[in-house]
Parts: sequence; structure tokens; C-alpha cells
Amino acid sequence: VSTAPLQPPAPVERASSTAAARSLWTRVLALQQRLPIVQLIALVALFEWGTWTVTDFATKQSIISMLVAASLLGLAAAGQTIVVLVGGIDFSVPAFISAASIVISQLTGTDHWAFGPSLLVCLLLAVSLGAVNGYVAHRFQVQPLVVTLGMASVVSGAVLLWTNAQATGSPPPFLTRITSVTGTTFGLGVPPVVVLWAAIALLLGVVLRRTIAGRRLYATGANPVAAEFALVRTRRIWIATYAASALVAAGVGVLLAGYAGSGNSTLGDPYLFEGLAAVIVGGTAFGARGDYWRTVLGALVLTVLSTVLVGKGYSTADQQIIFGLLILAVVAGYGRDPRLRDRV
Amino acid sequence: MNDAVTSLRERPWAFATALALVLVAANVIARSSFATPSSWPATLAAFAPFALAAMASTPQILSGGGGIDISVGPLLNFISVVIVAVLIPHGLGSAAVAIPIALGIGAGVGLINGVLVSVLRYQPVLATLCTLFVLEGASLKLLGQPATVSTAWLTHLGNDVGPIPGGLILIAAALVIWLALGRLPYMRALYATGGDDAAAFSAGVNVTVVRIVAYTLGGLFAALAGIALVAVTQSADPTQSIQYTLPALAAVAIGGTSLLGGRGSVAGSIAGAAIMFLIQTLLDSLAVSDLWLQVVYGTLLITAIVLSSTITGPRAVRVEAA
Repeated sequence: VSTAPLQPPAPVERASSTAAARSLWTRVLALQQRLPIVQLIALVALFEWGTWTVTDFATKQSIISMLVAASLLGLAAAGQTIVVLVGGIDFSVPAFISAASIVISQLTGTDHWAFGPSLLVCLLLAVSLGAVNGYVAHRFQVQPLVVTLGMASVVSGAVLLWTNAQATGSPPPFLTRITSVTGTTFGLGVPPVVVLWAAIALLLGVVLRRTIAGRRLYATGANPVAAEFALVRTRRIWIATYAASALVAAGVGVLLAGYAGSGNSTLGDPYLFEGLAAVIVGGTAFGARGDYWRTVLGALVLTVLSTVLVGKGYSTADQQIIFGLLILAVVAGYGRDPRLRDRV
Repeated sequence: MNDAVTSLRERPWAFATALALVLVAANVIARSSFATPSSWPATLAAFAPFALAAMASTPQILSGGGGIDISVGPLLNFISVVIVAVLIPHGLGSAAVAIPIALGIGAGVGLINGVLVSVLRYQPVLATLCTLFVLEGASLKLLGQPATVSTAWLTHLGNDVGPIPGGLILIAAALVIWLALGRLPYMRALYATGGDDAAAFSAGVNVTVVRIVAYTLGGLFAALAGIALVAVTQSADPTQSIQYTLPALAAVAIGGTSLLGGRGSVAGSIAGAAIMFLIQTLLDSLAVSDLWLQVVYGTLLITAIVLSSTITGPRAVRVEAA
């Protein structure tokens, strides 16, 4: 009690006010870790930028075509998101997309199969080859980067062999309507692919955060050894994760076949780096940080950004350059690693 | 036998080198002209861009902290575009001028990557992904479509300079820089940082500078790869920005370098690149149909990485869940 007068009052006050500021800042940071606020702000800001500087940017037509593009990108990045969460990476996504687009066109268009069995063949092949990715990478403890790259080569090569390098056929017309900008879902003025994306985002969000399987996936990504001790069969998680990634990629390939009107061996290529960008811009990082909702935001941010750049009439080259620089600017707010001196 | 396995485990590059030698022998058996000295300059010139791209991807990975540089492919392509579209048309095309400028640009881009990762603390994948987009755009801006070029020194580098194959000179240049750095304290600091950056920091290593130098070095090697690419193709193609990116990373992994950092070497990456290159030439010599090429290549790639990790990798931490 008697020590109170000995303490100089002024510095204490100053310290407490900086402490208050710091605790406010930590609370903001903690909130950002739980909810992707900066990503949302970036999305709104980019959208406003487009609305004010590009004519007819915020029309229904333009918003729907952005949503369709974002759905395809977001779905293509869904597999990559869970693979990154579990601590891996999947470079075979574009190969599965292209392969599925060719297989579905060939089976339904040239070989006159019904759509159902053709889709089933696509998805089953993808799931089994994706499972091989996960098994090999986990069983032999090798870099998934190389395994998935090899698998990509095998998948594209197998399709070449099967079609004799001459892919023919076009997918059924209703597939085109699913991704058509003028398409409607049960009378709603939204194309089915957007509704499908929303449904999958909801499903994946719940599975990741609210189910045992989801918790196991995060546990495996955060610390595989600890997860094994907690009786998580990490190999099963890896196999399931890579199988799911290939499954979604094949699904995107089928949708893209409808979008483009035919199968193509380069259809999936743009989705490799843009898909990865959607995952990282969303704020998901290697080792169980993030979720699919963030990737949804990331896909929206990237789509709005590239639509604005196209709308402002930049050349492809300038678009690429500005795209790269703006991603850095957007991510500066949240996607950076902690200081080394804070980790010692 | 156990000794052999142990010594392989201590030198992750040794297995890759051995496998590369086996593949050289297989190539010679498949096509005897492979062993003829007169065919070496062409083979080495074709190998050089890929080998250098793999070497250029190595220091960043060694520096740890999730270090990876996916902008190596676009950077080497950008260098080739700069040489063809800017330097030669503007009278800066002589070897004495063009080579230093190319190396300067490469090191400069590497430096920017290093600052983004190390000072601004961006995740390496994201920082170099953005560099990839920017470089891809910049290449397209400088050169709208593929262009060819014909300059004496580039033709020489694509064949031979005096008695020495040009491809060998470029690979050796990068290797000499690497080995020279091995004489300096830098190399220890790099491996220490890659192994455990927090521990290295506590021990007084300037982790920031070590990482910046690693990325700059990668950029420098990528510039050499770009020169090698122009030398062998006598052209530049702005649309082929990412062709070397992923294969180069695969070569690094096959060469025994851990993608977690702190373990591996540039020599291993040369061996890894040689394995991938020799598989392709072998399939070519055996006249494997173009249709089968990709399937066989992919299968062999997976086999190579599985072999190299089961024989040389550290034992996986295995926990038997009851």
C-alpha cells in the first residue's frame, strides 16, 4: 500500500494507453484470423472501383457473368484448398480438368453414351487416380509436388492414347445451359453453376469445420505426427483429400466442356496458378490455416479484379502485370508471416 | 550393404547421380551415337537451360521457411525475350554487353523476390506467384509473338566455344559461383537458416540477408538459364513463360533436396535435371510413340522420386496407432 507514491504516475498512464491501443490491435488481428475481413473489404473496394470507372459494370448481366467465371475458378480451387490445408499441393488439377472435358465430350458426343454413365466414368477414374496421388505421396513420404506432376503427365498422356490425339465430340446441350450466363435455376435468374458452387461451398464449409472428418483433416495438416498419436489415420486423410481434389477437378472439367462447347487438352491450364492464387489470396496457408470460405472470397476478388482490368481496356500483357502487383497490395493487409524475432 | 545405404543417406545427391549415370549408359545402349563426342555439344546445349533452371530453383528452397521460387521459369523466359527483343535490336547484343545486362536483370528480379519474402514477409509461394504474373505480362509486352535471332556468340554458346561445349560453360559458371560461395561463411549460414531459422536467428545469423542473397543467387542462375535458352533455340517465345517452372522444381526434389529447406545441394539438382532429361532422350531414342511418351514419362518420374526417397530418405517417423 505504501509503495504507491513511489511510482511516477505519468509513465504508467502512457504505458496503459499504449497497452490499450495494443490490445485493441491484437483484438483486430485476432478477429481477422477468424473472419476474412480484409478480404471482404478488398472485394467491396475492387467492385466499387469497377462500378465507378467501367461502364455497365454493375449491371445484372455483368454481375452474373462474373459469378459464372468465379464459380468455375472457385470450384477449380476447392480441391487445392483442402490439399493445401492438409499440408500438400496438387499440380494435377489442370490435367484432371482437361482430361474430364475430353472424356465427357468423347463419350457422350462421339460414342453416344448417356450422360449419367459418362459422368460416372469420369468421376470414378478421377477419384481412383487422385487416391493414388495421396497414397504414393504419404506411403513413400515423397514430395506431392513431383507425384502430382507425374500424375498430370500420366493423365494427359492416357487421354491422348485413348483418343489417338484426336479428341472429337461435343457435350450434351443441357451442360452448356448449366454454365450459360442466361441460364436459370428452377425459375431463379441465376445460372445453375452458381447455385452449384454455393451448395458445394456450404457443404465443404460445414464438413471442414463441423464434422469429425474435417477436424481430422485440420489435425493432419497442423501436425501429422501429433495427429497419428491422436489416432487419426493420416494416410486415409491424405488419400481422401487427393481423391476429393481430383473428383472436384473432374467435375469442373465436365462443366467447362459445357462452357466451351467441346473438350480440349489445354482447357485446365489457366486454373493451375489462378486456382493457387485464389487459395492464397483467400488467406489459406500450408498447414491447416484457413478454410474454403476464404477461397470463395479469393476467387471472387480475382474475378472482379480481372473483369475490371479487362473492362478498362488493358492489353493482356498489362492485365497480367497489374494483376500480379495488385494481388501483392491486397494480401499485404493479412497474408504475411510473423516476424522471425517474434517466433524466437 | 548397410554402409552403402548409410552413406547414400548422408549424401542425398549421390543416389540421383548414380541413377543419372545408369541412364547415360541406357542412352548409349539405346543409341550408340549418344556416346560420340561430336554429339555432345548439341546434347549439352539442350540440357543447359533445364539444368540451370533446376539450379536456379535450389538456393531459395534451401533457405527454408517454406522458401520456393515459382518465378524461375518466367524469369528465364523474360531474360530470353529481353535479349532477343531489346538488347540485340538496340545494338547491345555483343556478348560483353548483353551477358552482364542479362545477369543484372536476373539478379535484380531475384533481389526483389528476396525482399518481398524476407523483409516484407510475404509467403514465398505468393510473392513469387505475383512475380510470375508480372514477368509473364512483361514478356508479352516486350515481344508480341515468337521471334528468332542470329548472333555469332549465341550460336557458339549453342554449339561449342573453342573445344568446350557452350552448354557446359554455362552450367560450369553457375557451379563455380556456388562452389566459391561454399568457401565463404555464407553457405553455413544458408544451411543453418534452412534447417531452423529461429535457431539460426538466435545464434546471430542475419536470416534476412541470408534469404535475400539466396533469392538473388537464384535470379542470377535463372539469367544464365535464359542465356542458355536463347543459345539453344536461337529464338524467344513470350508465350512459353511457365514451361520450365514445375519440371525444375521436380528436378530439385529428385536431386535429393528437401523442400523443407536446409538439406540438399545444387549439384543434386543438376543430377535431378539430368535424370529427367535423360529419361526424355531415352524415350526419344527408343522411338517411343508420341502418344505413349507422356504416360511413360509420368510413370518414370513417380518411380524415380519414390526410389530416391525410399533408398536415401530419412526414415519416416512412423507411429503405429493401436
